Formats: sequence, C-alpha cells, structure tokens
Amino acid sequence: MSSRLTRGKLLAAGALGAGAALGGVGIERLATGDDGGDGRRIVPFHGEHQAGIATPAQDRLHFAAFDMVAEGRSELRDVLRDWTRAAERMCAGEAVGRDDTPLAPPVDTGEAAGLGAARLTVTFGLGPSLFDCFGLAADRPRALVELPAFAGDELDPGRSGGDLAVQACADDPQVAFHAVRNLARIGRGAVVMRWSQLGFGRTSSTSRTQATPRNLMGFKDGTNNIKAEDADALARNVWVGPRAAPAWLRGGTYMVTRRIRMLIEVWDRASLDDQERTIGRRKESGAPFGRSGEFDRVDLASTPADAHIRLAAPAENRGTRILRRGYSFTDGMDAELGQLDAGLFFVSFQNDPAAFVTLQRRLAGSDALDEYIKHTGSALFACPPGVRPGGYVGETLLG
Amino acid sequence: MTLRSGLLAATAVAASLALPGCGGGGDKSAASGRTVEVTLTDAGCKPERLRLAAGPVTFAVENDGAEAVSEFEVLDGDRILGEVENVAPGLSGRFSLTLKPGRFTMYCPGGDTERGALVVTGAAAGQTAGAKAAAARYGRYVEAQTALLVSRTRTFVRALAAGDIAASKRAYAAARIPYEAIEPVAESFGGLDPAIDAREGDVPASRWTGFHPIEQALWVRGTAGSARLRTKLMHDVVELQRRVRTIDLEPAQIANGSVELLGEVSKSKITGEEERYSHLDLVDVEANVDGARAAFDAVSAMVASADPGLATRIEARFAGVDRALRPYRRGDSFVSYPTLTEQDTRALSRSIDALAEPLSRVGAIVAGR
Repeated sequence: MSSRLTRGKLLAAGALGAGAALGGVGIERLATGDDGGDGRRIVPFHGEHQAGIATPAQDRLHFAAFDMVAEGRSELRDVLRDWTRAAERMCAGEAVGRDDTPLAPPVDTGEAAGLGAARLTVTFGLGPSLFDCFGLAADRPRALVELPAFAGDELDPGRSGGDLAVQACADDPQVAFHAVRNLARIGRGAVVMRWSQLGFGRTSSTSRTQATPRNLMGFKDGTNNIKAEDADALARNVWVGPRAAPAWLRGGTYMVTRRIRMLIEVWDRASLDDQERTIGRRKESGAPFGRSGEFDRVDLASTPADAHIRLAAPAENRGTRILRRGYSFTDGMDAELGQLDAGLFFVSFQNDPAAFVTLQRRLAGSDALDEYIKHTGSALFACPPGVRPGGYVGETLLG
Repeated sequence: MTLRSGLLAATAVAASLALPGCGGGGDKSAASGRTVEVTLTDAGCKPERLRLAAGPVTFAVENDGAEAVSEFEVLDGDRILGEVENVAPGLSGRFSLTLKPGRFTMYCPGGDTERGALVVTGAAAGQTAGAKAAAARYGRYVEAQTALLVSRTRTFVRALAAGDIAASKRAYAAARIPYEAIEPVAESFGGLDPAIDAREGDVPASRWTGFHPIEQALWVRGTAGSARLRTKLMHDVVELQRRVRTIDLEPAQIANGSVELLGEVSKSKITGEEERYSHLDLVDVEANVDGARAAFDAVSAMVASADPGLATRIEARFAGVDRALRPYRRGDSFVSYPTLTEQDTRALSRSIDALAEPLSRVGAIVAGR
C-alpha cells in the first residue's frame, strides 16, 4: 500500500478493515463523497457474498422468478453474465448502457434516471429445476430439492418455483421495478418470467441500526432476527461454510420464499387479546408476554403454547435460526371473494433449507396464526457466492 | 389499424409538443440540422412556400392564435413524412426529418390556404448497392401483396354481392392475409389504414368502414352488410395499390416496419381484439409475422455482415415463432381464437416478444449502410 494515503483511500481502507472484521459481511458502505441523505446511496455489488442478504433491509422489493427457455449451457451462462453486468451498473446508480443512435430503442428503459441507486441490491438464485438440465445434475446440492408439502399449504403453481430468481431491493420502488424490468428485457428469448411479486414495505429489520417494522397484522416482526452486525450468527446460520459441499456454493446461501396471504378481514375481527395471544407479543410495545420491552428475552413459560413466536423460537427448535427478510405485499383485491389480497412475502436465508423446513413443520398445523394465514406460493433457490469485478454470479458453478 | 408510428418514426426523428417560453432545456436532437419556423394562422401556414437544401431539418411549429388550424404535415405525394398534431393556440411543436431532393407539400388542414410548396434542392445522397437491393426486394414483396389484396378483396366483394355468406366468410379470411402482411406500409398513407382496417370504436360510427363492419355483419348478424361498405372497401384497396407504387423505402424504415408488425401482434392480435367477430386472429398473427419475415429478409444480408450474431439470433427466434404457432394450425388456417387457453396465448406472446426484442436493433444497424 502507498505510504501516502488520500482521504478517499483512507475511507476505503477503513471500510475494508470493517469488512474484514465482520468476516466480509456485505454491510452497506456509502460511496465516497456521498452525504448518504438522498437516493444516491450505493450498496456495493461486489463482495464475498451477494448483496441483498445481510444488507440492512431496504424499504421496497420487486421479486421475479424466471424459467429458462433456451436449452444450452452457454445460453444460461450468457444470461447470468449479462445480468451481472447490468446489475453492477444499476446498483451503482448508472443506466444499463449508453445510447449511441436515436434509431435504436434506448439501451436502458429510463425510468430510474435521476433516482440514484437508492441502495439497490440485486440478488440472484438458482432453483432446483435448473439442475435437471444443462448437464448440471452432478452439481446439484443435495439440499436443493423442492420443499416438502406442509400442513395447510394452498400453493398456486403459478406463484411457485422457478429456474432462476431475481430479488431486487431498493429504497425507491421505481428503482426496484426498473431493475427487474431491464433484466427481464435483457433475458428475453432465453428466459421467461414465471411469477413476480412486489413488496411495498419491509417487515424485518436486519440491522441493529434499523427500527423493527410492523407487518400487516400490526405487530412488530423480526425482533429477534439475525442482524447484519452479528458475523458469528451469519457464519453459523446463513453462509454456506468453507468446507461444505458443493464447493461452488461456498459463501452462498439458500433462499426460501413463501407468499403468505393474510386473511385480513378475519384478523381484523379478532379481539386485541386474541391477536396478542396468537402472536405472543403485545401489539403496541412489541414486548413478549410477561416482559416490558420489545427486546426483552422471550419468557416461554408465560407465552401461550401455540403462540407464533413461541413455536418459532430457537429454544423450541434445537437452536434453529434463519435470516428473515420479508416484505408486506398487496395484489389489490381478490376478485373471487371481494377481499383484500395482501400479506407477507416471506423471504429467508439459511445455509441449509432444512432449517426452514424444521421451523415450518413446527408451525404448520400448530401455530395459532394458521387461522389467519394461507401459504399460496413457495420457492427455494441456491444463491451463489458474491463476485469480484469482472466475474459473474454463477461463475463458480458454470465456469 | 393501431400503431402508426413505425414508418414515420424512421424519418421523423423527434416530434414533441411544448409550451412557449418553456425553452432552455429544449430539444437538442436536431442539433445537426437547421430549424425552420412555421406559424399556424387561420389563413394557412406561414411561410407558404419554402426552398431548402437536402439534409436534416427541424420544423418548429407555433400556433399564433389560429382556431381552425392545429396540425402541420410535410407530405410526399399522399405520404406523410413528418407531422405535428394538436397544436392549439399558444402551443408549439416540432419534428425533424431528413429531406431528399424533390417537390413536397406542406399541408395545413383547416386553413384558408391548405397546401404550400416545399422544394428541396441538392444532390440525393447516393444509396448504397445494399440499400438499393433491400428497397427493391421489399418493394416487390409489397407490390405482390397489394396485388393479392386487390384480387382477393374482389372475390370477397363478389361473394358479398351474391349474398353467399359461407363463401364471403372464406373470402374474408383470405383477403385479410395480404393486408396484415403489409399493414405498416398502409399506415404510412394517413387515412387509408383506418378506412380499411378500423375496428369498432376506433373511429366515429358514421365513418366506420373497411373490413371489420363487414366482418361484424357476416359473423354477428349473418348478413352481407351494405353495398356502400363493399364498394368503399374495394375502392380503398385499389387506392392503396396505386399509392404503394410510389413509395421509396430506406432499409431502416423496412426494418422498423417489421418491428411494427410484431407490435401489431402483441397489441391487438394475441389479445383476440382484432378479429373479434370471426376469431381469425391467428390468421392475422401469421400474416403479420410473414410480413415481418419478408421485411427482415430484405435487409438480412446487411445485418449478417454488420452483426452476424444478431442475424443468427433473429433467424432462430423466427423459427421459435413458427414452432409456437404450429400446434394451432388446421389445414391452411388456424384454430378459432377463443379455443386458446391463457397458457397458449402466453406462450405465443412470449415467442413474439423474444423475436421483436433483437429485431428492434436492426433499424439502427442498417441505417445509412
């Protein structure tokens, strides 16, 4: 390193140091010279892990699952490479490309111009079905199989599964939309969109710097979530370890998505007492039963046996923890019933899908909350590790 | 009849409406050319006569309190080269185009003097051999299709006149095909496309003519429609045939026309709106795709030398559309639109999108070659 450090280099060195101390966790760093108070805030795309996992949760989500229609391995590689290049630029707050002729359609669709990066992250995942083709069968992680059926599932195949996943999170909804739209356009002909979900508000805090948000039931959600600052918990529960198999997924993780419809009308008719006993927390303060503060330790003895937080608690599940990163959604009105179609688009990251399966098996069929929710979509993806500049997401798998 | 931008877009690079005094930022897209100011008045458009050297030019059009005039067009014969519409008093608008040498009309509908003369001097930019070959090849295709349109429309009109409903329905399907194959060309002749191809609600009921009111009569009421409708349709397709002989297309216009044809598929055919009584939408889809194929074939040699990868990709995507349509073929026609499921239309729509995306890059590649 040069003996003369500029201020910029000092900042960069400091940031690197912090990153190293946290085990390379993709903590958001502000771009040099940025006051951080507006939409220009940038989350680095490159790193040991993909961004958008341990990144403090942004306010908005646009998620899309795609199926491959092209049949060649080289086409799959091209899609992931082109997507990586475009994501790098968009996450830096730049347009996908520059136009050099008025006779061609613009390279970038344009609606994010002037909005800045808005902390955009684009996280890519590979679904189990992808490994049926492209000569990838031997590389399929043993854990990457369709999730088992759970009691009470009412899954719509049109909102489930997929060969590839794109999770775009940003503090500005138009920035997130722009990312998915442009990636869909770039992939057109090689991939088709299978399903898509907009999330209008985060339901988890994934950093100690963030207040705990409320979900659409009006309760604080994600109080005991794994936080980005907790490198040990991330290494233990989220990142696929350095000696795990397959090698290509080391530093990556597994992403579960569940579209959980809330029966809003029914919930709103439940008494406050019922609501609190269902969740296992006080509605206003977020405090567990028998405690006074939101972050006080859950007292299992005073919590109803079928309360949601009790059944989901690590102590009830052999210490199982997952990183939740879900968003509230609404798709307008359910035309069949004339009710609000809204709920939680649950997203979780864990280094083994079995962690989610353990928790969901415990919840499904026993959770008091079951009376007020329906799982209508489900998917599992393997998220490859992060990339260095010049690389692409999936390179460790496809070479 | 729907999108009308395609062929115009290649020549009229930019057309925009702006409030006077909002300048500053302005339209820089015509920076390479000159700007000619045109004022709309109730007497007509000023200047009434104009002499310009060939090359790019921007027309800056301002309405100086004219109530009767709100539109300005530059015409080559009957064909619109560039225009602004809805320029109400106090508003302004502009469009840019590249003028070739010749005599053109400045059209100012509603003014006391409606037509002015535009003379463009200078040497025509020599077309390359490739551009000439492309224009000649596509020109032959358009002429062949319009000849087919005229003969099939004649068969159709005769069957209607004879009151033979079954024969009329068959002849209707046959006559639609050559029209759909060259639709963007027809759209470049202003009012001809709406006269031939407007759907119910596209134009005021009193002016609804062409194929679709007869389609409605045949399939909804089981009648042959009025004699006035069939006379008018015959007249309009003959007029279209006369006019297409005068057109002279640049490769970029041909390429953009092919994208336009696929835009037609996405907007009104794949949704079942175009042939809402006869449900022959897939017949139209194939005709649009065949027309796009012919337009691409005309310029494909230019694409192959400039970007072989793109040419290969487009070929593969055309094959993909053929594959997507195949399950719905029945002899020389197609299944009725309502028999398609949502999954069917989705797959078809996606094969069209997959083709149109790379095809949309061709215009820029062949421009000026």
